[in-house]
Amino acid sequence: MGLFSKLASLLGIKKKEANVLFVGLDNSGKTTIINKLKPEDAQQHDVVPTVGFTVEKFKNKSLSFTAFDMSGQGRYRNLWEHYFKECHGIVFVIDSTDKLRFAVAKEELSMLLDHNEIKRKRIPILFFANKMDLRDSVSSVKLSSMLKLEDIENKPWHICSSNGLTGEGLSEGTEWLSREMESAIKQQN
Amino acid sequence: MIVFSWYRGSNEKWLDAYKDPVASLYTLTQCITLSDVQADGDWKLIIADLGTGTFDMKLKVYKGTNLMSENTIIDLPTGVETFYMDTHEPRTPAIAVASGPYIYVYKNLRPYFKFTLPTLEVNPVEADLWNQVKEEKINIFVLREMLEGMRAEGTVLTVRSLRFLQLQDITDCEAFANLYRFTPLRRQTVITSLATLKKSHADEDAISCLVLGTESKSVYVLDPEAFTVLTTMELPSVPVFLSVTGLFDVEYRIVVACRNGCIYTLKRGTTVTTKNCIELNSQPVGLQRINKTIYVGTMDEALHCYTSKGKKLWTVKLPASMTTMEIIDYKPKGFKAVIVALSNCNVHIYKEKYLVNIIKTDDVVTGLKFGRFGREDGTLIMTLRAMHRTFQRDLYLLRLNTAREYVKSLENRMNPISSDPQEPLKLNATVQGIGPMFKLTVNLQNTSLSNPSTNLLITFQYDDKLYAFKNSFIEVPMLVPGLNYAFETYVECQSDKGISDNVKVYILRQGKSIPIITGIISMPCTDVEPIANVKKKNQDDF
Repeated sequence: MGLFSKLASLLGIKKKEANVLFVGLDNSGKTTIINKLKPEDAQQHDVVPTVGFTVEKFKNKSLSFTAFDMSGQGRYRNLWEHYFKECHGIVFVIDSTDKLRFAVAKEELSMLLDHNEIKRKRIPILFFANKMDLRDSVSSVKLSSMLKLEDIENKPWHICSSNGLTGEGLSEGTEWLSREMESAIKQQN
Repeated sequence: MIVFSWYRGSNEKWLDAYKDPVASLYTLTQCITLSDVQADGDWKLIIADLGTGTFDMKLKVYKGTNLMSENTIIDLPTGVETFYMDTHEPRTPAIAVASGPYIYVYKNLRPYFKFTLPTLEVNPVEADLWNQVKEEKINIFVLREMLEGMRAEGTVLTVRSLRFLQLQDITDCEAFANLYRFTPLRRQTVITSLATLKKSHADEDAISCLVLGTESKSVYVLDPEAFTVLTTMELPSVPVFLSVTGLFDVEYRIVVACRNGCIYTLKRGTTVTTKNCIELNSQPVGLQRINKTIYVGTMDEALHCYTSKGKKLWTVKLPASMTTMEIIDYKPKGFKAVIVALSNCNVHIYKEKYLVNIIKTDDVVTGLKFGRFGREDGTLIMTLRAMHRTFQRDLYLLRLNTAREYVKSLENRMNPISSDPQEPLKLNATVQGIGPMFKLTVNLQNTSLSNPSTNLLITFQYDDKLYAFKNSFIEVPMLVPGLNYAFETYVECQSDKGISDNVKVYILRQGKSIPIITGIISMPCTDVEPIANVKKKNQDDF
């Protein structure tokens, strides 16, 4: 860290940086959510299935995020683990209408939690029960019990319903995540 | 019941995804398919539901766990396949449902085309017989006798003649003959099995022909655009399972398991097959192929493996009889295996001849399908025999039979004189009065010579909104033969609308629910207004 940036962060002008990993099954809405979190003029109109991964940057009041938008398609899911090491927070997006694949999402989540890089670290995990506007969506409470989130040990987690298209529920989630990450970063320093 | 599981290839092989115990589906492996019918990357589950086996046949399309569309099928479905019939964008495949002598083609989940199998030659003697009926040269008895003779000789008759022979009642026979004698006689066959064959390209979304096996021992290949028969191949027996590889325009192999317990291989250019056959020890229950090996499950609780040349590789004895089989082809891990459903509620997975996995289910699996569903590879769909459904149907049948018998018995006794020699009774009822209060007299006479009648009861059936009986239940003393006994009760009409109804009198024996005799009394209309109303009217006038 250079002198100026140190000074800036001391004075609170420069925001702290945090790496956030966006994971979840394909078609759950990860890219749409990130798109909505970006400043309005940088948003895209069309969201297409992500191939491999993309990196996006955006800020909120306290933190500057570097989001790793991972592809959720079956053949790219093994890329996720390569980014576990550097991440400060994880966002797990679930399509709350896709009842058939809750079992798959649960499986992918338990594989993630069991990974060596994640297992012992206190990384905050935010769950988005996305597509809450659709008629046959499952509530966040029901979803958390279906995915057995209460069994997660040694990690703070939070679940909120969201609508990636309108942005509903996103601020609640990101505020929680930035609070958790800030306190974690402070502890590290 | 329908069960979905995801294949994971790793330690824990299956993830239980979803179970729908009230799906009330009755279907078989041949009637289940998975396809991207809307070309949106979300694969749908297509099921031809056999309903009760006689009613309620439906083509159902599931998007995830939700029923997305439903189309009624007129006859019992025997197979469902999806195929690309054109090169238009977006690449939406058509659904073909085999049912009776027809192939129903659905595009965009709507009925699109109906293909009818070519009719077969009618036996000239049979045709002549029906012709004579038409010209009224012979009566139905001669027709029946002649047809029965032909059937006994082993002649293949038309559906019309078979149905005619099934009829028991002479009046039904006559009505049937009169109804159909002017329509031309046709012999149609029934589709037993359905498969697809790529026409000239091997791409996943290339145009495919439909391949059908029929009850008339032939295999047809249909053109996907014009729906004309491209090739007909004859077999020594009825084909029941088809397995197709190759391209129609280049070279192809159709492996056919037949009802006579033989497996034949049809190639491009074959028209009549007698050789190239694998003889099984027992009837086939399922036929699948992985690359060049043929897997056959047979009724003697065994799974056999053959090379495409017909050489036997191995046989595995199964712990119970097999109900159906399917192939697992999980491309992400390059895993191929045979999955076999057994009658002991287990599903076995065989990698070559080794049992690698067992899935336990709540009931016997009747339909299996493995493939891509929704947006994920590797779903196993299992449809289970619906115990509840069988029970429900039997219950309905029981109720129906009971109701029928009851109506029959009521109708039989709808007689003022008992037909039963054990209960010789005569009933006669009269109504006196001008209303609203009537006097109803039931006269009973024991018509036997010497036997007295005991333990009899009189009861009435009436509309309780219309009439009030003072005594709706009368106990009858012993009836001495030959004497006339009168039993009286008062009936009050409750309505001032000037309407009347029938009242039924039942004579019952204690402890038996079937009446001995029934009398119907047509009640007269009330001529006078009920007193209460008259009073009220008078008050109003003042």
